[in-house]
Amino acid sequence: MTKTFTHNELIQYVYNELPAEQTTPLEKALKSDHSLAGTCAELLAAKRNLDKLRPEPSVSCINNILMYSRNFNL
Amino acid sequence: MNISQRNDSELVSLYIAGDEKAFEILVNRHKNRVFTSIMLIVKDTDVAQDLLQDSFIKAIHTMKGGRYNEEGKFSSWISRIAHNLAIDYFRKEKRNPTIQLEDNIKAFNSLTYAEDSAETLQIKEETFARLKAMIDLLPENQKEVLIMRHYADMSFQEIAEATGVSINTALGRMRYALINLRKKMSTSNKVYDQNLYPQ
Repeated sequence: MTKTFTHNELIQYVYNELPAEQTTPLEKALKSDHSLAGTCAELLAAKRNLDKLRPEPSVSCINNILMYSRNFNL
Repeated sequence: MNISQRNDSELVSLYIAGDEKAFEILVNRHKNRVFTSIMLIVKDTDVAQDLLQDSFIKAIHTMKGGRYNEEGKFSSWISRIAHNLAIDYFRKEKRNPTIQLEDNIKAFNSLTYAEDSAETLQIKEETFARLKAMIDLLPENQKEVLIMRHYADMSFQEIAEATGVSINTALGRMRYALINLRKKMSTSNKVYDQNLYPQ
């Protein structure tokens, strides 16, 4: 019998936090349950879009941190 | 093994033993993610850069002072420091607001990408602005979980502990945050359909 998965478990799967023993049954369920697969695809698409938001700090900001570390001794 | 291939835990150990190169790799590995999570809270580039420096300075003091707890992940730890500093700043600002010369979105978009063409830069800036605006529209508790999980790399269990809710509540908030964002993205794409207006 195929196990029923909750939406919270799907979120854990999308963020690689679902325990290993549940991951294989979930992936099996995704192949047969089109509604679950659709929801999973939507969540993954939203997650992928979030990766587009990656501004970078300036080089001088990072150099300040590295210089501070080199000069800091207890 | 090349030092850049070492994991965070190994780099922390090398740094504590005096290897500054190990720290440089750690900083470069995590700077963008931590910076983004700060930016989503304070919104001002200069303030975010100051807070990023303060976060790593705190980390330097802890690690060189022999007080680093090796139980957790470095990424979650540095993110938590940054998140707490950003929240402290945000609360202080709320009590004593300062006048912004530029609006927040403009400040967010003022970042430079030397390797990008003007056109690519413009597309990136527009994407940032749209996505940032969508995240800002989320309910505060959903936005908080989203920043902590997606950008600060904290686990749902860590988020639950940090925000005083159950793990199921944290997972539920993340789910609604992603669903809401997806809906907003679909609406946004209908307004600007790339098939109708190819780049």
